[in-house]
Amino acid sequence: MNTVTMKWLLRREFWEYKGSMFWAPLAVAVLLVLFIGGTVAYGLSMHHIPTHITINGQTVDGYSVGVTLEARNRIAQLASSLYLGAAWPLFGLLTAVIFSYCLGALHDERRDRSILFWKSLPVSDGMTVLSKAITAMLVAPLITMALGFIASLLLLFIGCAAFATRGINMFGPLLASPDLYLSPLRLLALLPVYVVWALPAVGWLLLVSSWARAKPLVWAVGVPLVGLLIVKWISLAAANTGGEPLGLMPYAQEAVARLLGGIMPGIWFTFDDGVPPGLRTAANGVDVGSLVTASYATLADAATWLWALAGAAMLYAAMRLRRYRDEG
Amino acid sequence: MSSVISAKGLTKRYGKRTAVDGIDFDIPAGRIVGLIGPNGSGKTTTLKAALGLIPFEGSLSVLGFDPRTQRDDLMQDVCFIADVAILPRWLRVKDAVDFVAGVHPRFNRDKAERYIAATSLKPSMKVKEMSKGMIVQLHLALVMAIDAKLLVLDEPTLGLDIIYRKQFYQNLLEDYFDEHKTIVITTHQVEEVEHILTDLMFIREGRIVLAASMEEIGERYIEVMVSHDKVSAANALQPIDRRTVFGKSVMLFDAAAHGVSRQQLAALGETRNPSVADLFVATMKGSYA
Repeated sequence: MNTVTMKWLLRREFWEYKGSMFWAPLAVAVLLVLFIGGTVAYGLSMHHIPTHITINGQTVDGYSVGVTLEARNRIAQLASSLYLGAAWPLFGLLTAVIFSYCLGALHDERRDRSILFWKSLPVSDGMTVLSKAITAMLVAPLITMALGFIASLLLLFIGCAAFATRGINMFGPLLASPDLYLSPLRLLALLPVYVVWALPAVGWLLLVSSWARAKPLVWAVGVPLVGLLIVKWISLAAANTGGEPLGLMPYAQEAVARLLGGIMPGIWFTFDDGVPPGLRTAANGVDVGSLVTASYATLADAATWLWALAGAAMLYAAMRLRRYRDEG
Repeated sequence: MSSVISAKGLTKRYGKRTAVDGIDFDIPAGRIVGLIGPNGSGKTTTLKAALGLIPFEGSLSVLGFDPRTQRDDLMQDVCFIADVAILPRWLRVKDAVDFVAGVHPRFNRDKAERYIAATSLKPSMKVKEMSKGMIVQLHLALVMAIDAKLLVLDEPTLGLDIIYRKQFYQNLLEDYFDEHKTIVITTHQVEEVEHILTDLMFIREGRIVLAASMEEIGERYIEVMVSHDKVSAANALQPIDRRTVFGKSVMLFDAAAHGVSRQQLAALGETRNPSVADLFVATMKGSYA
């Protein structure tokens, strides 16, 4: 594989989708910082010091919040391990962006016939489809992670600054907390898991994008849903005629969830093979590291890899389709 | 490898319709070939087959490669403009130059920038801000800067005004073409390309009806301005086409087909070589009926 060509292909994808992959998450990140940060700063600095604080569902109670060192350390622990949670709207946006990106990636170039220009250059169909899969599974998530990290960090510092106006120094314990530095690394460590889980969905969406003559969205969503309905109908029919229940429904539902939901970050927590133990409470806060462990544990399941393989096969099919799709 | 493109029994069917019907042809290196035919005659289909854009039947070798199985190798040495105004709307001029320079080992960046400088294109301009003519200018600038062994141009100047069209063909001939390159052009504006062509191929209903070099055509086809008193004598020699210009009969003769000689024709009136357009119209008679 030619890495120079790949670099340019990735750059080309970024030029084309800069709006949805960079400017949109940036705008959301700025809004998050302005609204949440502004509210927190205003609330903490203009009103009383709270008697209890709830951070992502973890409540720290007591009147002594701002007073004892112990309480401050506890808040710092919680904040430093959970602050990236503030970026969740960005990951919701990411899901929508990747979904629409994959559906358009191989369809739009056929619709506007620019495929004829790209194909006049020495760039193979394999490289092109691969560059689009990499953009969906690595480039877009990395941009969102970076923006999410920066926005969360800013929010954290705004919160600390607001505390500081009431004479409570949160910067010290916070900066001393190893979780502050480990959290972004943990997020990054989840990326390989994400790629494995996103592969079936990215493969499916790119396949539809390469195949559909029109309305790729309708095909991409319609085919799995119609399939689900047919399986349901068969199951009902089998049950009504008194036959053995076929037990197909769970498989069909899983297929639809993987094909359409695989690009959702953290989707693996909703599958029962990889049920997370929940957020374990550690000595001083919560054990976010267990999330990473639980995520990797889902890779021990053979089904996950079989689906990833199916995703790769669909990418290959998308590449073959692009080779000879004649738009007249 | 003597031929740049060599086709044997090349056939392409779209469902029941046969777009290209078992054609054979050879294009040697160092030629500028005009592939000329009415709409739907199979010109574009033939070119698409040669460029590996569609599957086909029969055998076809382009620069020694099979476009079906060796397209990636083929594209190192081939460039084409398959249609006008197909650059994506979001592309900027400078990004387009960067991208082609990045992926194409035979791209000459200075040359492309020189062509672009001769137009009203600005580096930061996006395709969606351009007129159709400007999009074509950008596309041509990019393609002309690629040192390909085979250049395929399918209606390259559609939508361009006459001044730029003339200039394009002049650049193509003076700046681009040399004895190691081969150019295949299809166009409706035959009169603009006939001076630069070395070979002609007429295609009609999926078959090649005429394939010859311009010299052969000059020897074979003769147009005569027949004087009034010799019209019936001229008709007896079976002209392939006749028309009337300012009351005078102009007849077109195929010296190869009916064994008429130049001397015989000179006796009938003033002789000259027909234009490609007139030859085309005469050859294609009936295709529009």
